[in-house]
Amino acid sequence: MKIRFWGVRGSIPAPGPETNRYGGNTACVSITTATGGLVIIDMGTGLMHLGNSLLASEFARGQGRASILLSHTHWDHIQGLGFFPPVFINGNQFTLWGPGGSDGVLESILEGQMDPNFSPLQTLKNFSANFEVRAVRSGASFDAEGLTVTAREHDHGAAKALSFRIEEHGKTFVYASDVGYPESGPPAEAIAHYANADVLLHDTTYRPEEQATRRNRGFSSYEEAITAALAANVKRLVTFHYDQDYTDDDVDAIIVKCRELATPHGLEIVPAREGDELVV
Amino acid sequence: MKVRFWGVRGSIPVPGRATNRYGGNTSCVEVRPRSGSPIIIDAGTGIRRLGKSLMDEAFGEGKGSAAILISHTHWDHVQGLPFFSPLYRAGNQVEIFARQRDLHLEAVFSQQHDAPYFPVPLSAMHARTGFHEIIEGSTFQIGDAQVTSARLNHPWIALAYRIEVDGASVVYCADTAPFTDLLLGQEFVHSPTMELTPAIRAELAAMRAGVVALARNADLLIYDTQFTPAEYTVRPHWGHSRPDDALEIAREAKVKQVALFHHAPMRSDDENDLILAQYRQVVIDAHDPFTIVSAYEGLEIMLGDT
Ligand SMILES: [Zn+2]
Ligand SMILES: [Zn+2]
Ligand SMILES: [Zn+2]
Repeated sequence: MKIRFWGVRGSIPAPGPETNRYGGNTACVSITTATGGLVIIDMGTGLMHLGNSLLASEFARGQGRASILLSHTHWDHIQGLGFFPPVFINGNQFTLWGPGGSDGVLESILEGQMDPNFSPLQTLKNFSANFEVRAVRSGASFDAEGLTVTAREHDHGAAKALSFRIEEHGKTFVYASDVGYPESGPPAEAIAHYANADVLLHDTTYRPEEQATRRNRGFSSYEEAITAALAANVKRLVTFHYDQDYTDDDVDAIIVKCRELATPHGLEIVPAREGDELVV
Repeated sequence: MKVRFWGVRGSIPVPGRATNRYGGNTSCVEVRPRSGSPIIIDAGTGIRRLGKSLMDEAFGEGKGSAAILISHTHWDHVQGLPFFSPLYRAGNQVEIFARQRDLHLEAVFSQQHDAPYFPVPLSAMHARTGFHEIIEGSTFQIGDAQVTSARLNHPWIALAYRIEVDGASVVYCADTAPFTDLLLGQEFVHSPTMELTPAIRAELAAMRAGVVALARNADLLIYDTQFTPAEYTVRPHWGHSRPDDALEIAREAKVKQVALFHHAPMRSDDENDLILAQYRQVVIDAHDPFTIVSAYEGLEIMLGDT
């Protein structure tokens, strides 16, 4: 699996020179499988740039296909969909897997994003590509472009989101963004979901000092991410979903702190940065 | 009055090195009368930083008041609202104005703010908020400022605003297509061509006349110039204009200054520089009596008595 980061920011895009190095686009990650398949995780504004890059491939000719894993439907995880050029090309095929009681409920939430009050697109039905929406229940496993994916529902403030455990040829990548733990720490089921992963990408929205007053918002501090990674015996931890107010220098300082906490335990820290790639 | 640009981009925010100089935030302009509260036009992502700067003033103590004029509720014009810090401070007063539409304005904004799309419902904001529905063409007063609106040619309809205060006037004209090729409104327009019946031609002409009248003798005309002429040819039904359209309206309305605005998301700073240089030359060659700027984040323009 080759992972690429297209958007690593939380909540709202943060343009400006002070976010150039880590990037200001909201959540979007791609996985290229061993056989060249494409799996996309989350559809923040980074998705537009992934889409533009796909126009140099079979997606330009309407012969592309990809699976999309959606953690939840907050705006920072779906805003890129209407700006993803491959969905406007006839012949391309997408299967989206996301949270929801039924395919219809999930599809209607995505429809709501395209509501004419908000979007000139007015409806998902204006997509030219084949766009299939599949609701996933917590604990369900399914195949996405040859990868084995297991979804787990977790708390995210008053909402819920899915984390994904993704396996290929004995290697494991876990995507756990927008995760809110109770003050007592990550529950055993979460640790089991992350267990022995080669790479755990985990929400690190806040510094511990901000988390102290914002726990109800349903995000993790970098300390909580490290606690989870160590408990789950993970090899590498990817920091992700940085608060929109953090500058590059702030994130640099967070990474230094993370390494101070993690390195003595043999846990490697990989900061997610727009444009970076990582092989699992 | 002072006009300050906080977000100049159209459609979707675009962070990154290619947009550092013009800025990647979506539409938000602050109009600050010499005395009195800020009047904000549109609540794209640029309003987040504006909100932070306002918190250094009376808003930080819960004693601020602001008006927000919304051109239309497309995402690039409202996305920043939930991140506008003054809304989270009790005691502040925020009055929101937008075009009357089928769904009540407050319901539109509530949908934006609530599950499953956003974690904090609008009803949880601590500031007092008021929602005011406007009918195009209407004139109303915000403090010492007089505000007039006119209809634009855009999918689901947008409003232009003219604000007059301190002996000066600024006109905000985004988003709009030119008034020549298609009529955009409640219907979804799939195709770049439309048969222009006499009734449609008349409606477009009336809309154009309304915009020219709104912009008459304005000190500053801020205009949607998302497209180059080549891009417009392919996507006239998307509801955006070219710099040529802005200059045409400016000439007819005898404005003093034009600001190119609502830049396309993938337009780099260098491309924006070239477009500005090209149309500056057009203005010089035509001996036009107005000047032209290309809006960038942080640009401040003083108008009238200061
Ligand atoms: Zn998020
Ligand atoms: Zn979220
Ligand atoms: Zn717009």
